[in-house]
Amino acid sequence: MNVLVISAHPSSESFIGTLRAEVLAELEELGHSVRHHDLYAERFNPVFSAYERLNHVGDIAEKLRQLPDLQIHVEDIQWAEALLLVYPTWWSGQPAILKGWIDRVLMNEVAWTLPEGAARIQPLLTNIKKIVVVTTHGSTKFVNSLEGEAGKRTAFRSIRLMFHKRTRCHWVGLYALDHLPIQKRGHLVIRVRRRVRRALGSA
Amino acid sequence: MRALVVYCHPVEGSLCSAIRDAAVKGLSAAGHDVSVIDLAADDFDPVMSLDEWRTYMDRKIVTTPEIVRYIEMVQESHILVFVYPTWWSGLPAQLKGWLERVLVAGAAYRFTKSDRVRPGLAQLRRIHVISTYGSPKLYVRLVNDNGRRILTRALRMCGTRRTRTSHQGLYALDRSTDESRRQFLHDVEKKMLAL
Repeated sequence: MNVLVISAHPSSESFIGTLRAEVLAELEELGHSVRHHDLYAERFNPVFSAYERLNHVGDIAEKLRQLPDLQIHVEDIQWAEALLLVYPTWWSGQPAILKGWIDRVLMNEVAWTLPEGAARIQPLLTNIKKIVVVTTHGSTKFVNSLEGEAGKRTAFRSIRLMFHKRTRCHWVGLYALDHLPIQKRGHLVIRVRRRVRRALGSA
Repeated sequence: MRALVVYCHPVEGSLCSAIRDAAVKGLSAAGHDVSVIDLAADDFDPVMSLDEWRTYMDRKIVTTPEIVRYIEMVQESHILVFVYPTWWSGLPAQLKGWLERVLVAGAAYRFTKSDRVRPGLAQLRRIHVISTYGSPKLYVRLVNDNGRRILTRALRMCGTRRTRTSHQGLYALDRSTDESRRQFLHDVEKKMLAL
């Protein structure tokens, strides 16, 4: 299976850095084709520009000529059969750099189209049939449920609607890490690998 | 009271900028002392850097002058008004990053010795969210309004029990008319008088 991994964390020495390495190792063992974007390492610019707003709907080829940094991301998301996100949950959602990747890459004529006369948008990324989210939370599951789990809803509702109708969602959320020293997280790493293995199976 | 309008939209002259102006007009008419943060005009970089992340993990507060100025503005405000377009059911990345970089531990909340989070904005009386949506209201309710959730739930936890939240949304933007947009701007201005 073609798996597109998008990761977002400023430090590769963080716990997310560890999880990302483990996830990539697991995918390799399973034999999947993997493309990986580390948004921080690439210095991805997450700010949706005035040009993009004013050409929100428009000629995609011309747009990608104007926005060369998005070209590779568009190719990769059109290639993917599974999307795997790895990020820390900040303010109950994706870090800005990843939210900006969503804002900018899932554009008109890539993720969705609005045909002449149609009442609503139609999904275009029907090549994607699985979404896996690996994310960490400082606070407990209870606090996150009060806050509304915005990141989970963004991934599994708003984005998913642009993917295949039967897209399966796998949530690998780790909670209450503020209270768990990094030395005591070994079992979580094993759990994440097992969950990823179950979600994607072998190639 | 002191009011702070946090505004995020890439295009000046957009409907959101008109909403911002209506909000400022209404708040001023109500006698509040109003400040505005315009993230696009400030060319705000929403990406938390490695240094900043390390500072955060050490439970220290960030000290770049830009961030300190924003923190001071938030800490002296009794009313926070957010004006932004909802994209992918959430906040634009630039605004999401503003929360991440400005409302850090020591500014909007603090950690106790046992690493529990405690609110830090005792003066905050009201959070008001104004957003535009491409989708109709029913669709937004089904898919969820995550930007609104972050601001009226997660951010509210930084205030006190007396912190109230409210929201105004202009839905189905593609089908809006001059008339409905004018009406919305009027409603925003009126709402500000009642905050």
